[in-house]
Amino acid sequence: MNITVLVGDMKTGRTGDILVTHALGSCLGLMVFDPMAKVGGLLHAMLPLSSINPEKARGNPAMFVDTGVPLLFKSVYEMGGAKERLIVKAAGCGNPMGKNEIFKIGERNYTVLKKLLWKNNILLKAESVGGTASRTIHFEVDTGGVLLSCNGTKGPL
Amino acid sequence: MRIDQIGGMIKAFPAMPGAALKLLTLTDAPSATVQQIEDVLRQDPGLTANVLKLANSAYFGIPSKVGSVRQAVMLLGLKRLVQMVVATCASAIIDRGVPGYDLPAGELWRHSLAVSVAAKGLAGELKIQAADEVFTAGLLHDVGKLVLGQFVQEEYTDIKRALAQGMTFEAAEAAVLGIDHAEIGARVLAQWSLPENIVHAVRWHHAPEKFGTVDIMLDVVHVANMLCLMIGIGVGREGLLHEPSPVVTRRLGLEPPHLEKVASQTLQWVSELSQALAVG
Ligand SMILES: [Fe+2]
Ligand SMILES: [Fe+2]
Repeated sequence: MNITVLVGDMKTGRTGDILVTHALGSCLGLMVFDPMAKVGGLLHAMLPLSSINPEKARGNPAMFVDTGVPLLFKSVYEMGGAKERLIVKAAGCGNPMGKNEIFKIGERNYTVLKKLLWKNNILLKAESVGGTASRTIHFEVDTGGVLLSCNGTKGPL
Repeated sequence: MRIDQIGGMIKAFPAMPGAALKLLTLTDAPSATVQQIEDVLRQDPGLTANVLKLANSAYFGIPSKVGSVRQAVMLLGLKRLVQMVVATCASAIIDRGVPGYDLPAGELWRHSLAVSVAAKGLAGELKIQAADEVFTAGLLHDVGKLVLGQFVQEEYTDIKRALAQGMTFEAAEAAVLGIDHAEIGARVLAQWSLPENIVHAVRWHHAPEKFGTVDIMLDVVHVANMLCLMIGIGVGREGLLHEPSPVVTRRLGLEPPHLEKVASQTLQWVSELSQALAVG
């Protein structure tokens, strides 16, 4: 089944599911996959830190990287995923052109992600981050295969 | 000539319904009365129903129930009432797919709503006053894409080449097609006789520092547009190939928390407004 993950959302799936998310601009798309248990999850987080809007974060933790990433891992563990087997991939975190630091939400999303992963001893297996393109992800939970569409070209991540 | 073809399409662009245009001329007249507005709307019951529905929406947050056009004018003022009329009319024009920009049906409309609400929210977050027309300017800022889309599609190879040289998307449009979607949009709106500040905001929404005057409304639309693309609302082929103006950032006193706070609320605002506008 195709399961669409909207902006500020997180979904998990099992064999037979394809987790899809569209239009990753500055947002972070994070994929977690356990090849043994054949379970996976996809997060589409919009903003780096939940402290910007704690009320929103309570109702919708997937909107923020600092609350969405733990939620993603926890959900995959609950489905039988084990930390030592997890394959983690990241996409998105784009930024507009120019040097305007204020608009680099993508960069801030990526920084918060890296800090979280580092603290928890988790490595990224693959990533396609930064730049100006809008990205779309198709994550096949059976194989863990990720198809990345970006600027009219498609390829595995 | 391509540019003549584009010019022809601007001239042939759908007009606003008569009732909306009449209301727009009324807002320019300082002596407009509630009676005159009621008279105009009476000719279009569908429009009246939509206006009342919108007046009662969460977006405008009026605590009491708005049951008549008279009440709507009293509570919202003439300007905001006209905004609603324009919004209901605009949805019929904008709510469709735009192939050249890779926007599926509904995405340009969602983007338009988002820029409108985010611009208004940004002004609130920055505690500054933008003109009332910010709602309409946000809603209509990309109307030029409806004209330019097919040409972007046809000339995409050349546009891609221009982009590879480091141009912004709108600069590539202008370089290859002789005009960009912002200028086209402004011409369409001038044709509709919309107020000048809206026409200017649309014309300069990608290059606010090129507009000789400072207008907060233009500045917040510029920032809101970038933000909405970044959070994936109506971001198609152009991606994030635009440059946020440092001049605007400075004069607005914009900081990351303003931007991120607005971003965290935009999706909810969009769904409230689109529910209000959805005619059941
Ligand atoms: Fe635009
Ligand atoms: Fe736009």
